[in-house]
Amino acid sequence: MSTIIACFKWVVDEAYIRRNSSGSLDFSSVDFKISEYDRNAIEEAVRLRDDHGGTVIAMTVGTPEAAKGVKDALSRGADQACFIADEAFSDLEPSLTAAFMAEVIRGRFADYSLILCGEGSGDLYAQQVGPALAEYLEIPCVSYVQKVSLRGEVLVAERRVEEGIEVVEARLPALVTVCPDVNVPRIPGVRDTLGASKKPVMTLGRADLVFSGGPFLRTVSLTAAPMDRSCERFPADSTGIRSFVDALQKKGVIP
Amino acid sequence: MAGIWVYGDNHEQCLELLNIGRSLAERTGTPLSVLAGDGGEASDYIARGADEVLLLPVLGDGRSHDAYIPVMAEEARRVGPDVFLLAATSRGKEMASRLAVRLGTGLCSGCVSLDFTESPEMIEMQRHAFGGAALQRVTCAGRPVMATIPLRTYDPAAARTGREGTVRELPVPRPSAVRIIERRVRERETRDITEAQIVVAVGRGFEKPEDLSLARDIAAVLGGEIGCTRPISDEQHWLPEELCIGLSGVEIRPDLYLGLGISGQVQHVTGIRNARVIAAVNKDEQAPIFDVADCGIVGDLYDVVPALIKELSEK
Amino acid sequence: MNFNITEEQELIRNNMREFAAKHVEPLAAEIDENSRHPAELFQKLAEGDWMGIPIPEEYGGAGADYLTHIIAVEELSRSCASTGFTLSIHVGIASMLVLLFGTEEQKKQYLAPMARGENLGAFVLTEPGAGTDIMAATTTAQADGEHYILNGTKIFISNGPTAGTYLVFGWTDKSAGRRGMSAFIIPRDTPGMTPGRHFQKMGLRSSQTSEVVFKDCRVPRENLLGAEGAGMTMAMTGFDHGRIGIAAQCVGIIQAALDESLRYSKERVQFGSPISRQQAISFMMADMATELSAARFLTRHAAWLKDQGLPFSKEAAMAKLYSSEAAMRQTVKAVQIQGGYGYCKGAKVERLMRDAKITEIYEGTSEAQRMVISANILR
Repeated sequence: MSTIIACFKWVVDEAYIRRNSSGSLDFSSVDFKISEYDRNAIEEAVRLRDDHGGTVIAMTVGTPEAAKGVKDALSRGADQACFIADEAFSDLEPSLTAAFMAEVIRGRFADYSLILCGEGSGDLYAQQVGPALAEYLEIPCVSYVQKVSLRGEVLVAERRVEEGIEVVEARLPALVTVCPDVNVPRIPGVRDTLGASKKPVMTLGRADLVFSGGPFLRTVSLTAAPMDRSCERFPADSTGIRSFVDALQKKGVIP
Repeated sequence: MAGIWVYGDNHEQCLELLNIGRSLAERTGTPLSVLAGDGGEASDYIARGADEVLLLPVLGDGRSHDAYIPVMAEEARRVGPDVFLLAATSRGKEMASRLAVRLGTGLCSGCVSLDFTESPEMIEMQRHAFGGAALQRVTCAGRPVMATIPLRTYDPAAARTGREGTVRELPVPRPSAVRIIERRVRERETRDITEAQIVVAVGRGFEKPEDLSLARDIAAVLGGEIGCTRPISDEQHWLPEELCIGLSGVEIRPDLYLGLGISGQVQHVTGIRNARVIAAVNKDEQAPIFDVADCGIVGDLYDVVPALIKELSEK
Repeated sequence: MNFNITEEQELIRNNMREFAAKHVEPLAAEIDENSRHPAELFQKLAEGDWMGIPIPEEYGGAGADYLTHIIAVEELSRSCASTGFTLSIHVGIASMLVLLFGTEEQKKQYLAPMARGENLGAFVLTEPGAGTDIMAATTTAQADGEHYILNGTKIFISNGPTAGTYLVFGWTDKSAGRRGMSAFIIPRDTPGMTPGRHFQKMGLRSSQTSEVVFKDCRVPRENLLGAEGAGMTMAMTGFDHGRIGIAAQCVGIIQAALDESLRYSKERVQFGSPISRQQAISFMMADMATELSAARFLTRHAAWLKDQGLPFSKEAAMAKLYSSEAAMRQTVKAVQIQGGYGYCKGAKVERLMRDAKITEIYEGTSEAQRMVISANILR
């Protein structure tokens, strides 16, 4: 087991998003975090390294502000980080994120064995980067994985499909995208956080990348999801209960 | 003109996509093709709107679905469809991402509506973002315009008499690098709640698993099914995972959703947004569920639910 | 002036927030109701290196600065003031005293296990007849060959029932006045030292408080902390550090009160709209947010001064004085905003108000703080 790469994204913490009365979104008080499922990916990479040896590299593409995320990722057990950063990367579409990572991996971490991604990021949840990255690197892709194990040079994974589970095998190098129940990500201890800044970080910018395809997608608008519900409240006493049932009957949803 | 392509993992999904596929085909005046694995349904697909059925050869035992990707990509490069929609299933989403890379185009994931804009003539695709809190509208400059469509976004296409179409077999693919060594079909312990008209969902307000009988009782009186939030199924294991409603579970569109002891976190609410009526019982006045509920009762479910059952039984 | 905390401090604060939401919040009401010390929770705190943040790594700590510890106490106290307080006493007074005044041997033997969270520290000074008036203490530490023999009764000792390491103060030479008190490190189960049973209190109920009785308690010479007679100075230093911790605890309490008030006021509808639209209520919350900000800056500034190696006694007293009185004022307001609901068991603000009162009393009453501050400014 040589190098394991865990990909993560530094995203807006949706708990802090506010909606304006006009229906637009207010991002002025937002804080950022490593996307939830990416924490699972990092945790799984670290677990596999602890069991099989090797080095875990946490990799992300983002704006320079995501440097704090790099520290966060390192505090979760990764050995090194690769930070592909540029001001222009604030709204990269998934296939470009994947293309840039593929270029860097091919050029600088060519001896990798396994890549782990979250099944989708907490902000846009496109669920594309993992499979797109596997496609660029031309390696096997197993997505929506709830369990990962390694048998020598072979990956064994349980992937979720609608009708149940497929247990699959693929030769390394390979890529998996993980579901949140693959593990419980740690809450880093104080020493883990303090030690993060001592770990090596390779930082690259747009100028270090050759890929020039896309972008293909354009966001026309991003608005607050409409919530036009009547929001009627009923007290919990007998009158309230009766009125509640009446209201539901009037709406025609109960017999 | 190139055409509209749709792909579904199974018959039901194909019928839903044929619905939107047919409207796009009429709008653009181009043929509609469905890529499907089940040759036996070909005439049904044609009756319901397909001009062409592209048959994907049945994969052998142990063969993974991603073997189809090179075959689909090759055919797409040859034919050049304008639009390619895939069902947003685990397989569909993965294939769509990889196909978008192969075809050098963009992909809109989880597209819940497609509209044509006039000038310039573009397709605008709408999807949810930020855990369901936001609506994002995107366009794609690449071709084909690709999107994955969540199940039940569209009703199955209706059959019409007198429709004709062709069936063509796609080449047998080489096996993919992923080998399936075991399949575990999930025994459905329960009825499919995505089809229920009334769903009663349970959350952390319930103190112990025995108390879920309260929810079952009110569901029985209403003629509905039971569902739950993620902590109940995935953490406490009081109910099977297939009953989990929300971001990492299922999305439901019942006539009535009744949430009991559910706080209403965004991750759960995103799974119930399209319910016709949302009702909730929670003892916490501050619970976010009340922001999205049409009818809410602030009270202890252990008192309120029996009272509701009594009221409902008397009516 | 750079008022920002470092990225590491932000990450640590966020991690503590997550830890508190996951492990502390679910327990807070129960451990208050049952007056229970959650040993399992402190085990988890130890595993996350939270029990010795400002202690150097060579003595088992995380090797960070005091401000980082203060930020952790703020965030922890936001979920449970008792737990935040227990951590504060353990690190801010007991551990810091051994760090600052202990011999190499003492640091290895007593500080390292505390920093690793293997046992809790207690600060044993107050007596039934000696609260603010420390000089009225009567516990004696009689030199006897290779030992000291301690006799006396201490009261209101936090972590009294649960500590493993006791920092105890007694007179080695009453005639020397302020230079006659000494400090000792006494491990649990030392014969002659008996921690008493836990008191039931109005608030901070999970924090274990008791008497500690000394009857012919023999303590080896090597357990003398610092120089003989330096006890009073060390106690003052202990208070300086501990006060910043209490101030941080109060910041956490006020933050929790504000969180609760904002949420409740947006939901509670009277006269047709949320009460947050009533100026009487929104003005209360404006004051709450302002006091919170003031308390936070006073607290962090005092910690910063300490980390810079600058004098900080006055600022520590100011931070403690202001933050504790603000905590009391604002928790009363928070209950007022929630009306009848806020007065009932089960409402978080009910507990916050009960927890807040003691912060105006311990680690030096508000009156004692005013004495320290006025002495400082009138010099």
